[in-house]
Amino acid sequence: MRRRSSLPVTFLVPTLAILLVLSMVPTLYAIVIALQNRELSTTGYSWVWFSNFADLFLDRRFLNAVWVSVKWEIVTVVATMVVAIGLGVLMFEVAGPRLRNFYCLLFIIPVLLPRVSAAFVWKFAYHPLYGIATYPYRLITGGLIFDPLSKPGTALFAVASVDVWQWGLFFAVIVLKLLETLPPQPIEAARLDHARRWQIHAYVTLPMLKAPLISLMFVKMIESLRSFDLIYVMTRGGPGVATETLDMYAFSQGFIESGKVSYASAMAVLMMIATVITFTMLWKRVQA
Amino acid sequence: MNSNRLAASLGAAFVFTASVSTAALAQAPVCSAPVKVLAQPRDGLTLLEDSKDEFKKLSGASFQIDYLNENDRRAKSRADASTVGNYNVYYVDEANVALFASSGWIAPLTDYYPAEYDYADFDPGRQKVATYDGKVWFAPLTGGGDLMVYRKDVLEAAGIQPPKTLDELIADVPKLTNADKGMYGIALRGARGSGANVWRWMPFFKAYGGKWFDGDKPAFNSDPAVKATEAYLKLFKDSAPGTQTGSWDESTGAFLSGQVAILVESTPLSGMAVDPKTSQVVGKVGFLPPPAPLPGGGYGHGLAIGTKANADDAAKKCAGLFIAWATSKENEKRRLDAHQFGELNRTSILSSKEFADIYGADLGKALADTGKVTAVNFWQDPRWPDLGDRWGIILEELVTGTRTDIKGGLNELEAYANELVKKK
Repeated sequence: MRRRSSLPVTFLVPTLAILLVLSMVPTLYAIVIALQNRELSTTGYSWVWFSNFADLFLDRRFLNAVWVSVKWEIVTVVATMVVAIGLGVLMFEVAGPRLRNFYCLLFIIPVLLPRVSAAFVWKFAYHPLYGIATYPYRLITGGLIFDPLSKPGTALFAVASVDVWQWGLFFAVIVLKLLETLPPQPIEAARLDHARRWQIHAYVTLPMLKAPLISLMFVKMIESLRSFDLIYVMTRGGPGVATETLDMYAFSQGFIESGKVSYASAMAVLMMIATVITFTMLWKRVQA
Repeated sequence: MNSNRLAASLGAAFVFTASVSTAALAQAPVCSAPVKVLAQPRDGLTLLEDSKDEFKKLSGASFQIDYLNENDRRAKSRADASTVGNYNVYYVDEANVALFASSGWIAPLTDYYPAEYDYADFDPGRQKVATYDGKVWFAPLTGGGDLMVYRKDVLEAAGIQPPKTLDELIADVPKLTNADKGMYGIALRGARGSGANVWRWMPFFKAYGGKWFDGDKPAFNSDPAVKATEAYLKLFKDSAPGTQTGSWDESTGAFLSGQVAILVESTPLSGMAVDPKTSQVVGKVGFLPPPAPLPGGGYGHGLAIGTKANADDAAKKCAGLFIAWATSKENEKRRLDAHQFGELNRTSILSSKEFADIYGADLGKALADTGKVTAVNFWQDPRWPDLGDRWGIILEELVTGTRTDIKGGLNELEAYANELVKKK
């Protein structure tokens, strides 16, 4: 008869207890605050229950922020994965081992930069008069001005490009390393069958990497939800409300404009619920 | 005899002990811990950091200043003062002093400001901005009104006299724009915020006869607001690139680098425009009051005593001493010697011979003239930042073209103002 070991309990209980305290206390506190009408400028408050939630659905900026967040999520995740897979495959096909190492080092640098620093660097790069990123446009058009961060149609993409610059290049390194770990036999077999290079990757290597690529995509989806610092530095949600995501709007309501912490908490709670539901559904769908 | 001697000895010992304690007390340091300050970057504060030892000698402790840009400083100080209270001294401004004072986040300054530092020497306009509900809340670090700063060479080449009226300004600005040569008629502020785009828009609003409230009833949703916004948006067509989502830094930066013909901005710009360290247009710049009937935007920024971090009187006295020392005549003289025009606030300095020698008579006259048209344009109420910031978002949307209905924007703001009034 096997003796029951107390080792798993010894290791798991304290860790789970700390995790529970760290995650549940702020979550419960946010839910409680969302049901009140607390503001930074006053100490008094009362229970308003679901009034903050009801107000949110009549708030045009909230509805805009939901839409901007969805766009941001789609643009950054899709672009990051496309860049990562494209560059990863390109390096795998074209570069020798030494060159690959050099590219890997180069591509990891952007993600090592703190987000705020990266945001400032690119904010200057996008300056309409002095920016290095807008210089080619000025050169081609004979000095015409292009200000991507103040145009509603381009601002979101300009900020998203910085996110993709950081994460797309980093993920390209991971994709390359994943490709290098694949067994060579299926690739050689495909080559013997005269498969073209793109066919080898489309039908052999990438399907073999489906599980890790999906994991990478989930990591990026979660990371994209935390876009606040990048957007705050580069556009502060502008021009107008063109890049105002949910976290940006919640912070704005809680601390910049009105001090409505309860209203901001209601947004955070809704965001949490929507995220949990969406991710659970996606996860189940992927596993099915 | 022995008892007399004993009594005398005890008396002498008492007198000695008392005098030693008094002496020790007199030299007891005012501060027991470093003073923590939350501020926005100012040349005057950077210069102040060179004299840390002087303050340590005076108070017994040093100080630490954390800097955040204007909008971040406003957000952070509001969050900090209302919750944890990490900072002994807050940098406050005309837009949020009412909120901070009425919320009890800052203490009345003059209760803890040593008399020998002469608060009455500050420019009277700035003292007025620092006063709310009959009490003084901060010591000014900067302040003033607006000046029209213009490029004499550019206007001369275009055959245009400096505009004296708002109508002339609106007519002249497009004529001065020559985008191919990198010259723009004007630079305005487009970035959201009660202290950003709304600050620059408010003189137009007042010039057309606008009024924020009539008692508790919002009165701003009116023809003057529509006309002011139309004029602002019209001028924005000739505003330098980068200003559509920019504020003070972007508009003054464009002027100082030689890309703008006319700028109506806060008075510190004039000092920067004549300083070769900051300006590429030295010697080409003229100064006049804003075109009539634009009033100047009276403003003042300064240091105030936080209440949460300074729980007792001793801590408040320490913070008060720091503020008094930081804004003292001696430190202001250092700023004058360093040619930090925008950091000068004391009448004894502004009227000194050294000031006239450095900045010339023209600027002195323009400053005196603009003082006559400087006014408080915002709603002096704790709820102003809330209302002003809301209008800032709508105005930024209008400037960048994400919305076009001025009246719709004003209706939205009025609905929000009614909510604010109801909450009072």
